[in-house]
Amino acid sequence: MPHTMDEASLIAAAQQGKVDAFNELVLTYQQQVYNLAYRIMSDPASAADATQDAFISAYQSIGRFRGGSFKSYLMRIVSNRCYDELRRRKRRPATSFDDFGEVDEEANPALTNGHERPEEYAERQEMAHVIQAGIETLPHDQRITLVLSDVQELSYQEIADAMDVSLGTVKSRLARARGKLRDYLRSERELLPARYRLE
Amino acid sequence: MGRLSGRREREQEQRDEWLSAYLDGELSAEEQTRLEAQLATDLALQAELDALRRTVTLVRDLASVPIPRNFILPQTMAARARPAPALRPRRAWTAPFLTAATAVVSLLFVVVLAGDLLLSGAGRGASEPASAWPVAQIAESEAPREAPAPASVGEQVAVTIEVEAETVFEVEEALGLGAVPTDTLLPMPAEAPPNAEPTATDVAEGYVVEESRDVSSTVPAMGGGGPTVEPTTVLPTPSPTMAEKAEDTSTILSTATAVSRADESDLDLTPREMEKITPSPQAVGEAESEAAEAMPGALESEVRDEYDQPPAETLPWRILEIVLGLVALGLALATIRAWRARHS
Repeated sequence: MPHTMDEASLIAAAQQGKVDAFNELVLTYQQQVYNLAYRIMSDPASAADATQDAFISAYQSIGRFRGGSFKSYLMRIVSNRCYDELRRRKRRPATSFDDFGEVDEEANPALTNGHERPEEYAERQEMAHVIQAGIETLPHDQRITLVLSDVQELSYQEIADAMDVSLGTVKSRLARARGKLRDYLRSERELLPARYRLE
Repeated sequence: MGRLSGRREREQEQRDEWLSAYLDGELSAEEQTRLEAQLATDLALQAELDALRRTVTLVRDLASVPIPRNFILPQTMAARARPAPALRPRRAWTAPFLTAATAVVSLLFVVVLAGDLLLSGAGRGASEPASAWPVAQIAESEAPREAPAPASVGEQVAVTIEVEAETVFEVEEALGLGAVPTDTLLPMPAEAPPNAEPTATDVAEGYVVEESRDVSSTVPAMGGGGPTVEPTTVLPTPSPTMAEKAEDTSTILSTATAVSRADESDLDLTPREMEKITPSPQAVGEAESEAAEAMPGALESEVRDEYDQPPAETLPWRILEIVLGLVALGLALATIRAWRARHS
């Protein structure tokens, strides 16, 4: 992997207290970390808070990082923080694209697919909205497992490390999450655009 | 109905688990072959697999959500959130090793404590009868002496005079002196007549030699006469035991009584007055009895104090128990910390 050595050097420098080196790592992973937080929290503001807290916590504890996947290390921190926040919540946040506010173009260099028609873009946004609503119906541990697997594309072992559970637990939780989401999408098929509906 | 739906639900979950693992390539070769064979003949199972596959695809195709801002740490924030220093590589066996060490030390502590308690209990049981022995012996030895039969006063005086004569000789030898006249004989009992010759002095502490007036008066030979005896001085003695004190007391009483009687003739007192100031033999005997009764109690308490104190040989065991307990506690705290750090 071309970035492995660079990443290792950056991590070593960050462990020596060099903030600039750690910020390089932040720039590399902030998109994934924020998306994970957003898919779990379903709320942009909460996702931003969780992401910032996760990076601060990662910087503070980077001295204890013993190597391996730095991505998994970050995923574990942010998912734990989100899980703790979800348990404290008593209500489901309403998903609203209006909550995004102004998008930082500098942070999002490629926001849209240049070949996509506006109707397709609108359908895709609508589908994402329904899927996110379906993810919100899942129990917290299944939700986090599904997002780590199907959104972040972590392996079973990486998910097990991030959540500190066994491989069997990962398989079980993931299967249940997918099955429940499938059932939800079937029940809400009218909300999905025709080409996204489950047969 | 509920049971049936629960059973169906479990079957559905089992099926989903198979299909989900199949989608991710997580089935073994044997399981994959078996599932594919079943899919070939089961259309419903195929439909389930297709629905599950589309669901996973929809989730994977979710577009990345735009980030509202950069999350880089500013220098000021980074200064506040300094990274913890890189720890030495933590060996995986540290926590289990500490756990084992804690268990071993704790077990040792329990064994030593149990053994100490058992042995102490056996030791105390065996020694209890003996503990009564010294008290009984002392009580026996200090059984209230019956007041001496009211022997003739003359005999009493003679015996007393012999004791004093020996004592005087010993003192003279020790000091290289002649007879040391003194008017201080021996400590007076409480009931001694106020005009009795000896002054109250605590003799038991050591050498006390006091000047006294020349008591050239002879001990009246009541009923027979006897040698002139000069009341003696105090003897150099180490701190006597209570038993010895008891003996001294009775001797003192006898001597004081004899001296008191000896001096009677020097006083122009009527017999009636003499009765008032001179303790009768019966009174002396009662005093002796009271003193003797007090002794065993005092001795008994003294002996009990000795037996209440832990024997010297159990002290090392107590120290060992304390050390093992502290070590076990320290290891337990270290173990907890190691397991927490391991899971952090």
